[in-house]
Amino acid sequence: MLFGRKKRKPISIPQKQVTEWKYSTCNYCSTGCSIELGLNDKGKVITSRGHAGADVNRGKLCIKGLLEHELFNSSGRGTQPLMRERFHEAFVPASWDKALDHTADKIKEIQNQYGRDSFAVVSTGQLLTEEFYTLGKLVRGCIGTNNYDGNTTLCMASAVSGYKRSFGSDGPPGCYDDFEHTDCLMAFGSNLPEQHPIIYWRLKEAREKRSFPLIVVDPRVTMLAQFADIHLPITPGTDCVLINAMMHVIFKEGLEDRTYLEAHTHGLAELEELINDYDPITAQHICGIDEDTIRHVARLYANAGAAMSIWTMGINQSTHGSDGVSNINNLNLVTGNIGKPGGTSLSITGQCNAMGTREWSSCSGLPGYRLLENPQHRQEVADYWGIDQAFFPEKRGLAETDIFPAIETGQIKGLWLVATNPMTSMPNTSRIRKTLEKLEFLVVQDSYQDVETNQYAHVYFPASVWAEKEGCHTNTERRVNLTRNALPPYAESKSDFWIFNQLAKRFENGHVISFPETAEEAFNEMRELSKGDGRILDISGMTYDKLEEAKGIQWPFREGQMGLKGHSRLYTDGQFQTPDGKANLICVDFVDNNERPDEHYPFWMNSGRVVEHFHTRTRTGKIGNCNKFSPTPYMEMNPDAAEALGIEHQSYIRLASRRGDAVVMVQLTQRVPRDMVFIPFHFHDCVNRLTLGLLDPYSRQPAFKQCAVRVEPVDQLEAARLNAERRAF
Amino acid sequence: MSTLDTKIHNKYEGIPGDDLGTAYKGVALEKSGAKGSVGLWEVRTEERPYAFLRDVEAKETNTYGQKIDLLDLTDHQLPEGRSMYINENPAVGENPNRNKQHGFFFTADNCIGCHACEAACSEKNENPAHLAFRSVGYVEGGSYPDYKRMNISMACNHCDDPVCLKGCPTRAYTKHVEYGAVLQDPETCFGCGYCTWVCPYNAPQLDPIKGQVSKCNMCVDRLEEGLKPACVSACVGNALDFGVIEDIPENREQAKCSIPGFPSPEITHPNIRFQQTRSMPEEMTRTDSMPVKYHRDEEGNYQPVVDRNKKLDQKKGKAKHWNLTRLSSRENPLVLFTLSAQTAIGAYGLAFLGAEMGIDSLLRFQASVMYVPLMMLCFGLVGFGLFMSTMHLGKPHRFYRGFNNLRHSPVCREGLGIAVFMGALGLHIVFSLPDNRLFTTVFGAGLGSFGATAAFFGYLAIPAGLIGLYYMNRCYRIKARPFWNHWQVAASFFGNMLSLGAFIGGLVIAITLALSGEEYLSVVVVAGSILVSGMAVEAIGLFFHNRAMNRESHEGAASHYIQCTTFGKTYYLRNCLLGLNLIVASSLLLTGVDSVLVLLAWCLIGLTQLLSSTIGRALFYVLVIPTTMPGAFFWKNKGFEAHARDIGLADMPQVGVVPDGH
Repeated sequence: MLFGRKKRKPISIPQKQVTEWKYSTCNYCSTGCSIELGLNDKGKVITSRGHAGADVNRGKLCIKGLLEHELFNSSGRGTQPLMRERFHEAFVPASWDKALDHTADKIKEIQNQYGRDSFAVVSTGQLLTEEFYTLGKLVRGCIGTNNYDGNTTLCMASAVSGYKRSFGSDGPPGCYDDFEHTDCLMAFGSNLPEQHPIIYWRLKEAREKRSFPLIVVDPRVTMLAQFADIHLPITPGTDCVLINAMMHVIFKEGLEDRTYLEAHTHGLAELEELINDYDPITAQHICGIDEDTIRHVARLYANAGAAMSIWTMGINQSTHGSDGVSNINNLNLVTGNIGKPGGTSLSITGQCNAMGTREWSSCSGLPGYRLLENPQHRQEVADYWGIDQAFFPEKRGLAETDIFPAIETGQIKGLWLVATNPMTSMPNTSRIRKTLEKLEFLVVQDSYQDVETNQYAHVYFPASVWAEKEGCHTNTERRVNLTRNALPPYAESKSDFWIFNQLAKRFENGHVISFPETAEEAFNEMRELSKGDGRILDISGMTYDKLEEAKGIQWPFREGQMGLKGHSRLYTDGQFQTPDGKANLICVDFVDNNERPDEHYPFWMNSGRVVEHFHTRTRTGKIGNCNKFSPTPYMEMNPDAAEALGIEHQSYIRLASRRGDAVVMVQLTQRVPRDMVFIPFHFHDCVNRLTLGLLDPYSRQPAFKQCAVRVEPVDQLEAARLNAERRAF
Repeated sequence: MSTLDTKIHNKYEGIPGDDLGTAYKGVALEKSGAKGSVGLWEVRTEERPYAFLRDVEAKETNTYGQKIDLLDLTDHQLPEGRSMYINENPAVGENPNRNKQHGFFFTADNCIGCHACEAACSEKNENPAHLAFRSVGYVEGGSYPDYKRMNISMACNHCDDPVCLKGCPTRAYTKHVEYGAVLQDPETCFGCGYCTWVCPYNAPQLDPIKGQVSKCNMCVDRLEEGLKPACVSACVGNALDFGVIEDIPENREQAKCSIPGFPSPEITHPNIRFQQTRSMPEEMTRTDSMPVKYHRDEEGNYQPVVDRNKKLDQKKGKAKHWNLTRLSSRENPLVLFTLSAQTAIGAYGLAFLGAEMGIDSLLRFQASVMYVPLMMLCFGLVGFGLFMSTMHLGKPHRFYRGFNNLRHSPVCREGLGIAVFMGALGLHIVFSLPDNRLFTTVFGAGLGSFGATAAFFGYLAIPAGLIGLYYMNRCYRIKARPFWNHWQVAASFFGNMLSLGAFIGGLVIAITLALSGEEYLSVVVVAGSILVSGMAVEAIGLFFHNRAMNRESHEGAASHYIQCTTFGKTYYLRNCLLGLNLIVASSLLLTGVDSVLVLLAWCLIGLTQLLSSTIGRALFYVLVIPTTMPGAFFWKNKGFEAHARDIGLADMPQVGVVPDGH
């Protein structure tokens, strides 16, 4: 009986009847994985697979990427433009022409009545680079408001700011290949297995070939922390104390790379003076890492042939995120670990095209890392676009996190949100709700009609998503990669590119500036603008066909450059983007401005990502094989703390902070310390009802991960009802 | 350990490709485009080494001493190079190790719990959210920051001794000499779910929507192309690997048969090997609702914990509850089936055997007009039972397939026994009719008497019923369900046969005799004695079961903990009813009081016994905790699934929980 049957049983395994594979880059995080979309003979996307020939992912994909092709037809997609007079009325379907006309009229009306900057635009890190560039042209060149930013302020602004302060320019100097060369890797507030599984795999592959120390700084025992050789369970918000103490040891013991420092940096004397105050004995009581360990880690890092640091939101989302980034850069400059294989400061970026928006959207400046504050830059761009340079403001306007308070107090009356969902993603939800209510005119442009922010929209633009469009992403390691158009837009939705082009036609300058019909033509404009002596962000050598053939090319890749390989690393020659080419050592003094736990609110509130979800779940919340792994929010809590409060595993509790409350299901685990709770940030009406989000003084990024809460009992039935009601998807 | 049956019935003939012609293969080859491809699965352009199977020198035997070469194992009764006809494609892979037992290799040290394996599997097999051939759960332990979490990714282990295959009544399972894959055909399956009971790893997946089981197919289409399964190829932590069993991959040093949380490999000899070198805390807990935790024993293996003082992982506290609504489950039809079949056999046995044994009152009853109606009642009860058991199937219209695996499946034998009982009983009724006074009054006595034929079928029904009940009991003696795997099941089934049969039979007989003015107290004594002995048998079984579960060190003890807490009050009610009944009924028998009140008391005893048996049987089904892998906080967490159904989250398909249907 065991081996077979008298009658053969059929073996049926689903077959993928793919007739064509279309090349694409993943539209979730910034790892930049190459995906091939499988189309059947009817042109329908039926499957996908990682591209085995792509250097980034080498055929691997994470759960989100593996299932990404299911999102094209997922529930909640916007099917047609919608309009209404007031947000509490019902939406009425409208034609694109009508919706676009009305929007242009309202923008002009608000600008005429209250001034040019009274209409704000907040975009995203999710669009394609050509779309960002076009949006920048529209906002900076036609609409002319200076209150224009991206939601990258919530995730990468601190990295941008820190890079600019240290190196004179944005742009991560390292790459994934550095894992293959490093002798010591230090991860600050970065949980690769959960947030960037494919980057984790690259690291794991490197470590399987060659063992090197992995040091993880994280208050939670994440999977990465568990795999670390040394885990530093730091007190929240004290990373600069740790780094300063490490530098204290390095200088005291003469482990610094003085030759490099003297040749390539400014501010050495000031830094040395500052870190005098950060001896490990004092520091250990602030950062929670004992002095022996601080010394050990400092020596390990400094003595490594090549050492690198990576970080993510644990650094960026804090009150001193920009300082934290600069301080990591300090550490690497001090140890001579910039621009060499295995020695780098590599910010692990969040959104798929956070880099693209930083480079080309003109949010915080002008295209190609140009600055509004620089007259020459204004002139270059104005000339290229064919408009008067006086149309540009001479200084950057408000960041996203300042735009909302300006709405609250009436300086800004109209807002256009592109692929971002502040109702879930911004700190202090109740304040955002109140703010959005005050808008005279809100346009929401999103692939999903059920995006929570749409509750307050006056006009809704249904946008197409990912491979319904064509264009590029730039990933964490500066690799520009292509997404080919694989299928037509869903229902009546349109590509963001098309929407920007159509809106531009409704403004005066829209007829002066060229708005090409295809993404590739826009890309060619960007290539032109990227040329210039000493510019690192140079993509002039790239074409769509080359990008597809190479499966992504890292910038700089200059016109005339042979082959298909860009530059893996920046600053290999020790020349930085500062006026004199030297990097700046930034003095970072510890300022304790966090809302710390006290007797009334005894727990640290920490938030972060889970692997199966992306951002506010508008996409992954509808894909069952992603969503089922966390269909509802939960909170990690230490069992010892729970026992003292009589809280049971998998029961509901109510959390209260000085901003508001949230109901959440408890998961008891020793992964978090006794005085901390952790909640994934993806869920609407949950963790951000509690967060304070103090702003970083340089980057204006909110400190999502540090505030204080207390835990209250709650009626289980009532809590369950609330929890279910708050999950529309 | 059960012995291996290597006998081959399969003489599935035909030269690969003969019946489909060469054109098909040609087209398939051309379409795949890959070099050396046989057209079963398209190899990616620039595919990486990690995705390809290694060619290795295989060992002779596996850890359990079984031959790894499957042709050898089966004495070369099947040819090399036989086509598997995957999707009816006759192509044959060129893998030199094609006829060796393959298996997964899991480096528990490395799993990051990223769900890539699960997603790749679900994408390839087009599984909806509520089904998964592979799942990742975890155990955790330690104290912050010395905290360790160990993720476990688990699919089918294509066991040496596939209990699913043996248990399946429809013979939907085949273990192939190609790769040793245990494959199941959903189109043969009728959705009884028995394989999901016997599998210790929760590998077969019963889809309540489709009403059929499906499971991991080892990606044999990829294997035929020389590729590892999709889950392995997708692994991002370098945790999951696959190959000829016992082959330790490069960079790995161990091939253990167990890790914390993994059920005993002795049940099925699973084809999975582990590396787990990092030390773990001595105690590991589960995050799902199962009140099971694991403790390291002297040999370093992790066993489910029973601690006398702090029993198990007391997730549900110590408070006792009723939770009467939770007694209702998907297995409700089986509660009705088992109870009614047992009652019918008992009542029938009382009336038929009692008369055959020459007990005066029962002889008188047999001669009465009510004998045939009582037989019909028994027939109706067993018919109702079989109907309920059929309706329990995912695909009731395929019920006739339930006898296809008499050779191995207790389910088949149970079904056959009960069905033969019913048939014999039916014929007994038919041949008893000519002797029935009511019948002869209406149809005349012209047919003559068939007493001997009736007796023949009557006697046939007795062993059929008992064999049916015996295999009904065997069905639940499942190693992967320790709460059931105790002789208490037999005590309960046979006890209920006696007690409920005596109650229903005795009631009808006593009333019949009483109404016809005949002596009936002797019947009450006979039936009462049987009722008491049935209750006693059940009570003894329960007592020893309780004692065993309190002492045991497995999931059965966890079930018992739930029995004493979540259903604590209900459990005690059942026990009190049973105990009280035993005392009162014994006293009645001993005192021999004779009054109408006594009859009423017996009725009350019978009814409470019916209630207590029903509660007991419902508890039996809802309480069982299988030896499955640990779940995660939401996925594969029974507690969350129940909660999602309760609060309506399950109504959203993307939650991955199927709403209640029963």
